[in-house]
Amino acid sequence: MTGNQRTAGMGSFLEAVRGKFDTQDRVADDGSIWVSVAKEQLLEVLAFCKASGFDHCSAISATDWPESETFELTYHLWSYHDRLLVTVKSTIDRTDPVVGSAMAIWGPSAQIHERELHELFGVRFQGNPDLAPLFLENWEGPPPFRKDFNWRDFVRKEFYDEGDPRELGYWDR
Amino acid sequence: MTKEIPVNWATGTDSVVSKCSEEGGYDLYFGPVHPGSGNFGVRLSVCGEQVIAARADPGYLHRGFEKLMEYRTPLQNAVLSDRLCILESLNWNLVHAEAVDRLQGTEIPDRAKYLRVIMAELSRIQSHIIWYGVLSKALGFDTGFKLAFTYRDYVLDVFEFITGGRVYPAGYICPGGVRRDFPDGTKKRIEELLEKLERMISEFESYDTSTICARTRGIGVLTLEDAIRLGATGPVLRGSGLRADVRRDAPYEVYDAFDFEIPVREEGDAFARLTIRRIEVEQSINILRQALRQLPAEKLPPVKPKVVNKIPEGEVYVRNEIARGEAAIYMRGVGESHPYRCKVRGPDLLHMIPVLEHLLVGAEVADVPAIYWSLNVCPADMDR
Repeated sequence: MTGNQRTAGMGSFLEAVRGKFDTQDRVADDGSIWVSVAKEQLLEVLAFCKASGFDHCSAISATDWPESETFELTYHLWSYHDRLLVTVKSTIDRTDPVVGSAMAIWGPSAQIHERELHELFGVRFQGNPDLAPLFLENWEGPPPFRKDFNWRDFVRKEFYDEGDPRELGYWDR
Repeated sequence: MTKEIPVNWATGTDSVVSKCSEEGGYDLYFGPVHPGSGNFGVRLSVCGEQVIAARADPGYLHRGFEKLMEYRTPLQNAVLSDRLCILESLNWNLVHAEAVDRLQGTEIPDRAKYLRVIMAELSRIQSHIIWYGVLSKALGFDTGFKLAFTYRDYVLDVFEFITGGRVYPAGYICPGGVRRDFPDGTKKRIEELLEKLERMISEFESYDTSTICARTRGIGVLTLEDAIRLGATGPVLRGSGLRADVRRDAPYEVYDAFDFEIPVREEGDAFARLTIRRIEVEQSINILRQALRQLPAEKLPPVKPKVVNKIPEGEVYVRNEIARGEAAIYMRGVGESHPYRCKVRGPDLLHMIPVLEHLLVGAEVADVPAIYWSLNVCPADMDR
């Protein structure tokens, strides 16, 4: 596929998204598209992306912004047909992080990313039937990838002995 | 006796489950200490010889890289990125370095791009060789195992010569280029290595009619529709019939300067995935020869640590094709010396959980290792 065709695919996709939804978008230097959308429209936009040929849900990620009390969710999607990368972003409330699951759209490939985010950030995906712990065993603390979880303090408390002179170095920092 | 049998929601096996509740089934653990399973387990519910449900049990290698990277500078993270997958550390070095380079807007010298590609392709070959060895071992084909690990050592010798490390290159591919240029005589050593590897491929081919073929043909068939639905990438996806490769679809570094083939098979079985990886080794040799020919002559100065090395405000999502499939990093910078967020997307989270669980349902117990290793799994990049 030539560069011109890629640009054409990108242009028509952006036009369609702008026409249908209330979004903000930008095209990065590397040709990837970044679309920001309100939480209420998120699933509709994702479903629209899937229908536009973004068959591959490459990853779903969350970024924690404790100061504004939000999580920013990013859905990284790839179209095998148009060879385009689009990232759909949305912000959700950090104190009650609930969002609809993208499982109905991408199936198991979205399911596993959501399960991971549930464990590491505490985001609840409504409609995902299996949000069982994935990596952590018998973990009772807060979701560990949140910014306010200080793993250094946690490790010091859990695994080091302040009275042991060989481990003093871990307490000085 | 009633026993709870986990129902695999992804594949929906209700009918087989009810059949087995009448006949009586049992749970079988494959891993986490099964020889060759890696640090990963999968719980199989078995009815006679047939697997009726599979539940992956990851987490044995979870080290929290994404969080660790939020506390470290790019140069420290370059070293950390080695550990994302033990079997192909240089490829992960490259993904990380590209993410930082793009955020910082660093222009990489042409020669450094070629060196990066050379190291990434050697790493791909090395990874495919280990996989051939471990698959052979899992199938009881010890000749293949010994052959593969012998040849892998030749590649590691070259890694040691260039980077100082055999398995972990200590962030050789780092933001800004590569740590230091190739030592004198590297080109000749790589050319000699490629000749050896060509011999290796013909030896591998000569075994295609033996155990390895009998145990993989028609086993673990993944249809293209399922492959896309379950998020398969790389050789697994190409083994099911889709010609998709990040090196060609969204070329990075200097991949658009090379002429290479992307092997595809329609069958979707373990043997198709095996054939694809072997052809990929051939193609990597092809790319390496072209890269060595085109390599700009002028030597590079070593990359020095910067006094102020901040990651500017911004975000990128960088995708690369590594031996196992699509590797990606989402990096978010806020103008600090550390990344604010670094999401690592490895191919194996998808291959080892949804794809593996799907393929194991309905398989014979004896085929489990063949299916498992035909996916070329790496628990390290799944757990992160």
